[in-house]
Amino acid sequence: MPVDHARMGDRLLGFADDMDARAAADVAAAPGPELHLLTFALDREEFGIPVTQVREVIRVSEITRVPQAPAHVRGVANLRGRILAVVELRSRLGLAPAELTPRARVVVVEVRGRVLGLLVDAVSQVTKVPQASVVPAPEEVLSGEADYVTGVARWQSRLIILLDLEKALAPTE
Amino acid sequence: MSEDENPFGELLQDYVLECLPLAEQVADAFVELERRWRAGDAADEVLASLPGRLHTVKGNSAMMGLAPMREVAHALEDACGLLRQRPERRDDAAAGLLVAGGGLLVELVRQASPDLDPAPAERYVERVRQWLSSDVAPASDTQPERRRTERRGGGEGGAGGDKAASVVRVDFRRLDAMLEVLGEGLIQHATLAEAYRGLARLTGASEELDRLDQAVVALQKTLKRLESTLMETRLLPISTVFGRFPRMVRDTAEAEGKRVRLVQGGGETPLDKAVLDRLSEPLVHLVTNAIVHGMEPGDVRRRAGKPEEGTVRLEAAPQAGRVVIRVSDDGRGLDERAIRKKAEALGQDGRNEESIPLRNLIFLPGLSTAERVSTLAGRGVGLDVVAGAIHALGGTIDVETAVGRGTAFTLSLPVTLAIVRSLIVEIDQERYALPLAHVAETVRAEPEAIRQINQRGVTQWRGDLIHVADGGAVLGTGGERPAPRRFYVVMAAAGKRRGLLVDRLVGHQDVVVKGLDPELGRPDVVSGTTILGDGRVACILDTVRILEGGRRAG
Repeated sequence: MPVDHARMGDRLLGFADDMDARAAADVAAAPGPELHLLTFALDREEFGIPVTQVREVIRVSEITRVPQAPAHVRGVANLRGRILAVVELRSRLGLAPAELTPRARVVVVEVRGRVLGLLVDAVSQVTKVPQASVVPAPEEVLSGEADYVTGVARWQSRLIILLDLEKALAPTE
Repeated sequence: MSEDENPFGELLQDYVLECLPLAEQVADAFVELERRWRAGDAADEVLASLPGRLHTVKGNSAMMGLAPMREVAHALEDACGLLRQRPERRDDAAAGLLVAGGGLLVELVRQASPDLDPAPAERYVERVRQWLSSDVAPASDTQPERRRTERRGGGEGGAGGDKAASVVRVDFRRLDAMLEVLGEGLIQHATLAEAYRGLARLTGASEELDRLDQAVVALQKTLKRLESTLMETRLLPISTVFGRFPRMVRDTAEAEGKRVRLVQGGGETPLDKAVLDRLSEPLVHLVTNAIVHGMEPGDVRRRAGKPEEGTVRLEAAPQAGRVVIRVSDDGRGLDERAIRKKAEALGQDGRNEESIPLRNLIFLPGLSTAERVSTLAGRGVGLDVVAGAIHALGGTIDVETAVGRGTAFTLSLPVTLAIVRSLIVEIDQERYALPLAHVAETVRAEPEAIRQINQRGVTQWRGDLIHVADGGAVLGTGGERPAPRRFYVVMAAAGKRRGLLVDRLVGHQDVVVKGLDPELGRPDVVSGTTILGDGRVACILDTVRILEGGRRAG
């Protein structure tokens, strides 16, 4: 069954706004196990992926279109002699497309041995958040195959949507 | 020269660089033939070395739209073909004809220009035609076959035991990984060279800059050497595939109740392992066909004055960066009339013998599975499958046949799949690599020469109407109203031909083939990706799939 990414995106953002409002009241939590996240901006929200999956962050260089590739694929780029498929994370997650700004970056990730580029609006920073600040995403934003949100970290008045890249990207053959 | 001329200019230069040495070798060989024939020497091996070179010159000339060279090379090919089979015609007149043709070919290639006077070539082709038509078939022509020394292919794998101590076994995947790293090195070099040029523009000449320049140039040479060494490491002798055939031929012949002898040659010819792995099946197919359908039963052969024992030949030879494999038999040959009739029934215009060569019909899918043809003509089972496998390897397949004398399939394959000689074109601001093996010609697109029939572009090409598709429409990159494009590339494979309109011809390049990430889905028209000299990524177009694309594409 095809996943309605656009509708998913709206619901995700609505949920995030709601969480944002509630998170504003939070105070710093006690130390405990921490998650190291690379966070980046997409649309109005902040997303996070484990730094262990990130190989590097590069500027957007020339990206070559690939005829007949899926809509969420921006194209392929040359990463020091390697061909890097670049995924437009916005369209993959069902968010509205946007013009690239100079702040746009390609996050090079390695997921199950595959190296891919994720095109994001801007990269924020590497953040440590306590494991305890992560709450599961509510049922209503998780539907069928689109369950690539593993949870939401509320930390120091920020709200970081945690992505499961293995699920967000195409399955390996 | 206007900007429009430039792409052709560059390509012409490539053409001369590649073809002039070949033409000169051919001309030299003709002189040697004359000398040795006068001395009573058949010089079979000299004659045998010629068709490949001529074929390359012919193909490259055709691709550039240089008709005089194409025609002369073609005529010489025909003449050599006849001389290989008819030693009794190797006389002074024949030698004189060849020497004249060789000289003409060198002269034409050297001048390489689209505006050449076609008259000398036309006169020469007519001369060859008359010489060919004065041929009278002798009663038996098995003589040259006997005289040729038979080299044994295969088998040499076990030799060189004393070298064993210095041999290391390496997992092929590690060689792939090395090639990958080398590719990165080549691109980094390109980046370095670009940075040097930028620096030179900024700062002007200096001693330090000169040294940097020298280092960059030296690095390129080193990387190129590394590349060729690495490519050699990946190659295995074709005997690794040929090795299975003696047994297979014996078994198949026995099952058919026929006596068949296998002659192998060129087993030492090196080929990339990735090509070898995918070559075995089509070869088995061709050899099986030759025995089962090509060979007449022993009594029929005897009545026809042929030796009862049939001969199947499996020969390989390196040729201008490619490997040519020939599978031939001395069987009954293809029944051309039956094939044309069948092709007509399939809706193909099979009548016009001049314009549609047999090879364009025999590899048609419907035709090759047709029971009737395979019994009538003695051949034709699954040849479309064979052709498909060869094309997928970036190769070509051709057939020659003579009724009662036999059939020969000639396969031309790239030595490696890792590097593909390509024509780089530009469509809608993106660059694409088109494997040269399937490029027949590049043509300037004159607007008035391309007509619209049923909203599809059609043009006259070598006397035939072919479909010319818009590159942007095929790739899905074009806008609502595609801008007029300046060139079209005629692609040809498996008897299909189609023009592809492109904006610019950029040049020739040996591209290192890289795969497609699963994230990219399975695009129909793209077979892989590569990195061009300037560091840009380009998609390699799947010419065979585009040719098969039928009505959908464009």
